[in-house]
Amino acid sequence: MNAVEFGLWLFAMSVGASALGGALGMASGIFIVPILTIFGGVDVHTAVAASLVSVIACSCGSAAPFFKGRLTNIRLAIVLETATTAGALCGVVLAGVLSVPVLFFIFAVVLLLSAQQMMARRHEPAAVTYDPSVKDWATVLRLHSSYPDRVLGRDVPYRVRHVPLGLALMCGAGLISALLGIGSGVFKIPAMDTALRLPLKVSSATSNFMIGVTAAAGAGAYFARGDIDPAVAGPVALGSVIGALLGARLLLAVPSETLRLFFVVVLVALAGQMLLSAFGIHLMGHAA
Amino acid sequence: MTADLARHPGLERLLARVLSGGTWLATCVIALGLAEPLFDWRGASPAMPATGSRIVTAGIALFVFLPVLRVLLMLIVFVREGDYRFGSIAAFVLVIIILGVALGMHMATGLPA
Repeated sequence: MNAVEFGLWLFAMSVGASALGGALGMASGIFIVPILTIFGGVDVHTAVAASLVSVIACSCGSAAPFFKGRLTNIRLAIVLETATTAGALCGVVLAGVLSVPVLFFIFAVVLLLSAQQMMARRHEPAAVTYDPSVKDWATVLRLHSSYPDRVLGRDVPYRVRHVPLGLALMCGAGLISALLGIGSGVFKIPAMDTALRLPLKVSSATSNFMIGVTAAAGAGAYFARGDIDPAVAGPVALGSVIGALLGARLLLAVPSETLRLFFVVVLVALAGQMLLSAFGIHLMGHAA
Repeated sequence: MTADLARHPGLERLLARVLSGGTWLATCVIALGLAEPLFDWRGASPAMPATGSRIVTAGIALFVFLPVLRVLLMLIVFVREGDYRFGSIAAFVLVIIILGVALGMHMATGLPA
């Protein structure tokens, strides 16, 4: 493969990964790093850096519709970003210390967790009664808000809960994001659902908004370190933006159950290959 | 109750505009850089010549800068609204990102990590 063909392959692969991820409301990063390292023979650090750029592109590109729907809670986002960016710095340091097989192993585990999460149904958190006299973090920081519900045709108020636990989980999500070059939805979703107890739509919008800054903290460090290869990151970023646009249309055209199943199969297959690579066995593609 | 809600309609509109505008700009810059070799009629150029590569890098830098710019905008708006607590939270996030860049530069020049 010459450089132009390689660039076209990177572009096409990113369009596909991002379209599929976008259709299911997931960042494309989770596919990009395994595909680049297993099939493209790209160095894992270069792949992680390129993937982070694509995560930023998808986050920024899809922010506007969420704002229009008045779903993003920007106050909560900036509070949680203190934890995700701090976690991202730890991830950058850790990425320099861990060996490639260990990184592959962690990636495989995250892929399997994502597949499991994809199969599980998410539920709206149950309404909990609260005592208005209690001054918790969310009340002091004025994080409670409301969102418009189309079915009910009115604004539904919600209260943010357990901010310290949410911050701790978000720190872990930031670390994994910078370490593996992914949006880290797999760790953000439990934080949003079980700790902060946000309505699902608010959770997706706010998480998507935060992913950009989290990934920028990691990508900024990799950029300064010289890990960003324009020949890899350029086609991947371009493909991801176009793929995300297609993904929104795919969502309407293909039944989401079919997509979900396909997504899980791909995640498990990539996890299997990442695990084998971690132990030095290569069934497909070439060694990274 | 409404006054207590975490709402900033003006800031949200501004951020939506900046983020989507920035995405288009960065995407176009990267596309331009990748297409540059195709318009190089002088021939005998490698597939990824220096100029195209530099344009692509600028587009990538633009993407990485975009979320940083949005934290900066949030910082400015919070401070102008007199919300110094959230101004300092936004400033803290910016400091962490800058620390990250410094860390990356240190890793590039210092000991192999």
